[in-house]
Amino acid sequence: MKTKRIYDSKVTILVPCYNEEEVILSSLKSLLAQTYPYIEILVIDDGSSDRTYQIAKALEFDDGYHSLKVLSKPNGGKSRALNYGIDHSYGELICAVDADSKLKENAIELLVEHFDDPQIAAVAGSVYVINQTSILTRLQALEYIEGLNMVRNGQAFLKLVNIIPGPIGMFRKSAMQEVGQYDHDTYAEDCDLTLKLINKNYKIDFEPDALSYTEAPENLLDLLKQRYRWTRGILQSIRKHRKYLWNWRAKASMSFVMWYMLFESVFWPFMQLWGELFMIYLGLNLGMSQLLLFWWILFTILDIAGAFYCLLITKEDLNLAWYAIIYRLFFISIINIAKVFATVEEWFNIKMSWGKLERKGRI
Amino acid sequence: MNVLSFMSFLVLGITILTMIFGVIAYFLYKARERKQKRDEVTYEDVLDSEGEAYLFFESSKKKPV
Repeated sequence: MKTKRIYDSKVTILVPCYNEEEVILSSLKSLLAQTYPYIEILVIDDGSSDRTYQIAKALEFDDGYHSLKVLSKPNGGKSRALNYGIDHSYGELICAVDADSKLKENAIELLVEHFDDPQIAAVAGSVYVINQTSILTRLQALEYIEGLNMVRNGQAFLKLVNIIPGPIGMFRKSAMQEVGQYDHDTYAEDCDLTLKLINKNYKIDFEPDALSYTEAPENLLDLLKQRYRWTRGILQSIRKHRKYLWNWRAKASMSFVMWYMLFESVFWPFMQLWGELFMIYLGLNLGMSQLLLFWWILFTILDIAGAFYCLLITKEDLNLAWYAIIYRLFFISIINIAKVFATVEEWFNIKMSWGKLERKGRI
Repeated sequence: MNVLSFMSFLVLGITILTMIFGVIAYFLYKARERKQKRDEVTYEDVLDSEGEAYLFFESSKKKPV
């Protein structure tokens, strides 16, 4: 019977954290409120120097079905913390969440249902911005809905979602162990793990109603820092698995995913900036041609229509659609400039560090 | 200059300024990172540079007598 089998699976929720005292309590409360009955929560304190460990430790309990345990280890990075948690887990399903996020109460229950199919190795949830308090965070809210959640909806049609997001993703533990769990050689350990699973012919799905609310960067430089790390991490993953780019016959799905990621993270930002430079060239050399205005209006109308469609589907605030105008004018160009620079730096192998973002405690 | 020409001029101007601002913002971010790195050395940084070596930290602050 389907229901019985689903509820037989124990889920271990891993919460790796490093100096998260501002947000850890809200995050853990949302995990304790989950409707799924058989949950083990493992908080992995990755050598925090603040009160993260003490706050989480105060919530420890074990009633046989639910439990919360805090593990502590010397600081070694997110991927090592996650592997440490997996090694100490009892669940057949592993849910990795970020400490600066909180889950909707039915999120785990919805994710678990996908694992009836033995070919499914991982399921991504939807990520929404919780701190929509400024123009910058509202722009990111729109971006998350349009650019991340809706894109994953499309990828789920082929069961080839290419990145399981940090704030919410569930994995089959046996599949993770088969591919060697998380590696430590990229700054996008989630992307790398997903690629390794796809390479083993597993399917990766998406559950749009499993919601996670996360804190988005509230100033521009923090946002650029986040996007810089994302871009370089994805490029490192692509570089690591590059032999599959040209391996169409043996690994068609892997090759397809790799080319898609390359398009999204490298070709598209370059093309967008090239288009804008071309527009500037036309404007300066051919005068203030009205064609330029029509060209811009065309894309803006398309953006607003796309935004309305996504917001209607996800039942989010329709007022966000108007931010598509600012999105086209400023936001995406600034983000793409950072992506292009990050690509160049990755090309030349310039040293980088993780760069932890400061939490504001908005969740 | 009619309205359409003015709007074209506006879009062009905003595009140029945004691109300049985008480049400046990126270098401001890099400068901030460099400054932060100079100001503090974290355990992570030392671990990265030292690899698997055993690390021993000693406080630089003198104990009060």
